[in-house]
Amino acid sequence: MSDESGGMKIGRVGVVFRQSSPIFIFAGIFILMSIASPYFFAWRNFMNVLRQSAVIGILAMGQALVIMTAGIDLSVGSMMTLSGCLIATASTAWGLHPVIAVATGVSAATLVGLINGFLTAKVKLYDFIATLGTKTAIDGVALLITDGLPVSKIPPSITVIGGKAISAGIPIAAIVFALIAAAAIIILGYTTFGRNALAIGGNSEAARVSGVDITKTKIMAMAFCGLCSGIGGIVIVGRLNSANALMGTNMELNSIAAVVIGGTSINGGQGTMFGTIIGVLTMGVLQNGLELLNISSFWQKFILGLVIIAVVTLDTYRRKKLDADRR
Amino acid sequence: MNESSADVILRMSGIKKSFASVEVLHGVDFTLKRGEIHALIGENGAGKSTLIKCLGGIIRADEGTVQIDGQPAQIGGIEDAERYGISIIHQELSLVSHMTVAENIYLGHMPLKRGFIDNRAMEKNARVILDAVGLEKIAVSRECGELTVAQQQMVEIARALAAKTRIIVMDEPTASLTEREAERLFEIARRYRGEGISIIYISHKLEEIFKIADNITVLRDGWSVGAKKPSEVTYDGLVSMMVGREYTGHYPRSGYTGGEEALRVENFSSPKMFQNIGFTVHKGEVLGFYGLIGSGRTEVMRGIFGIDENASGEIYVGGKRVVISNPGDAIASGIALSPESRKEHGLILEQTVSFNVMLTVLKKFIKGISIDENYERQTLSAYIERLKIKLKSVFQPVKSLSGGNQQKIVLAKWLAASPDVLILDEPTRGIDVGAKHEIYQLITELARQGMAIVFISSELPEIMGLSDNIVVFHEGRQTGFVTRDKIHEATILRYAMGEVR
Repeated sequence: MSDESGGMKIGRVGVVFRQSSPIFIFAGIFILMSIASPYFFAWRNFMNVLRQSAVIGILAMGQALVIMTAGIDLSVGSMMTLSGCLIATASTAWGLHPVIAVATGVSAATLVGLINGFLTAKVKLYDFIATLGTKTAIDGVALLITDGLPVSKIPPSITVIGGKAISAGIPIAAIVFALIAAAAIIILGYTTFGRNALAIGGNSEAARVSGVDITKTKIMAMAFCGLCSGIGGIVIVGRLNSANALMGTNMELNSIAAVVIGGTSINGGQGTMFGTIIGVLTMGVLQNGLELLNISSFWQKFILGLVIIAVVTLDTYRRKKLDADRR
Repeated sequence: MNESSADVILRMSGIKKSFASVEVLHGVDFTLKRGEIHALIGENGAGKSTLIKCLGGIIRADEGTVQIDGQPAQIGGIEDAERYGISIIHQELSLVSHMTVAENIYLGHMPLKRGFIDNRAMEKNARVILDAVGLEKIAVSRECGELTVAQQQMVEIARALAAKTRIIVMDEPTASLTEREAERLFEIARRYRGEGISIIYISHKLEEIFKIADNITVLRDGWSVGAKKPSEVTYDGLVSMMVGREYTGHYPRSGYTGGEEALRVENFSSPKMFQNIGFTVHKGEVLGFYGLIGSGRTEVMRGIFGIDENASGEIYVGGKRVVISNPGDAIASGIALSPESRKEHGLILEQTVSFNVMLTVLKKFIKGISIDENYERQTLSAYIERLKIKLKSVFQPVKSLSGGNQQKIVLAKWLAASPDVLILDEPTRGIDVGAKHEIYQLITELARQGMAIVFISSELPEIMGLSDNIVVFHEGRQTGFVTRDKIHEATILRYAMGEVR
């Protein structure tokens, strides 16, 4: 049998562009902002972007893995909030040791992730519905824990993670993001679990008949997402130097946006963690740049929406072209 | 039969299986010897797939025993089957198209080094196996979705070999292969037979069975009705065993002698797909379209039907020029297209029989906000009877039907639209001999009633048997037109290979 694919006809540059349009979009926005604002291209500002992007980046790593299995998790913002509120309340009102408080928050979020996994993989609810349910429920729990009031005076040993920087102004939050990103890259690229996740998203029947344990893989992906959200909770209480039950509002949608901007297919089976990181940074740079240009947050939202639509349109077009070339 | 038990690798006895209180296997026996190619045949719904799924651990048999190497074997899940060295190459290709060839070969059991996937070892081993199945030119890092169907099939076989398989089940492996590719597959199958691997070969193409099988087991309605050697039976004898009645393989004829022009296509082209296509089909005529897979037959029809937006040219229906820019226009002009892939384009599998059949005629029975249930019932029962579709209820989901019956639902759906021109793209692919024959009958009957029919197939015998005239395709060009009286296998093949008349 001969190799008759026509896919090799496009030039080298074309290949790179088509396989990694997210990085070009990022570069485009980056250059645009560098020109438009004199304050943008500066080390301090880059560190600023990293600090602002860290939380959403941490959540997006988990979200990306779930989306690659062809799922979706609407509860990431709420799991983060639950974790943060537990950490804050436990370390203040309940008087627990900071380490135990953090462990409580992170385990609670991971547990919710496990429940999400159980509901979708075992009970076989749609991800959308199951995670909408858990999201609503744990939003309630966060309000109950905090009594609907902001929690402050969190011990500095906790808030240092999200609030402080090491030398050269590198925020610790960014380091946490980098560590989680590294873990996610390894999981996706070098573990059976990661490959199985992609296989399930690509063709779950094929994965099943190949002996992939679909239930286990889905539960693990959801649990990983919960774990990431829990860690996001540590970072956000440091950044805000307080916690409240509404701090995760819209974060689930922003995390999905970051994943999609990063080139991951919402249908699952396709995508990279590197792309997701680019997606996170694209959103961060865009928001930061617009702020430096003194554009109101109302307009920022509007523009971000347009960017999401533009990126996905471009990506759909790119995939279509790619498919056409393969014929 | 004279078989020493040492030769037997697999013995399934008294296998019973019910789905929702309907028994589909009534106690099937099946014996497989070491190093043989054993054909498993039967009509759709005879129980072949169910039996194979029991063997592969995808479903669990209710009763019966399985012995492997003379020892009782418990196959409770896919892992068990793998452990016993059983691999199934499924009819619907089960590759993950966005993963690489190497990843697909090792999906479910990738080589690990200190807990992490050893990509280098995986790619190296995959290379060796790919070479063994004749895919020397395919890089292991290619995405499977980029490969041709035949290459993908070989990747599936490679996967079975990577899993140290002793029993390979091939379910309709040649359904979408060209003849040359199929020959290649047979070669590889014979080679592995020589190495002591046993192959269970499921196919509707009986010619193949005679070519390749050492033994044949026939299933009918969930019973095993016999095991024979190819030398002991004839083609018609085998079909008779499958359908349970005498069978003579004649093609029905409509007796077409000429009619008014129904559909004329001129200067029809689409960039990269096909060029300068022109043909006419008349009322009562069956116009055959033959060409190898990928020759552009399907694309032309999709173009005429308004699915391919890039197609341009002139289309005349009943002598009048029509402009078709979407399938709605085509239907309004009196054209119906029963597509090649019934699962992808023909049916909404989750929905009911009724929903699917009525889809093309919604306007006729939904008046404002009221549904004309009478019309619905009449239409349904008329077509179900006419097409002899076996159903429990018109409200059962289409996916619960066998392949042959699903194909009939597709036909019913388009007949309900009462078209003047009916385009049938591979209407008999993957369905059994009995159902095929019923579809032949139907095509002939429709032609007799004056419908113009365009019949696309990659199976030469049926094209030659049914068509009044034949258009032959090669690589997007129309390379030949053969009239009824000049239909000859060698001529058609020469055109199909690209020799322009």
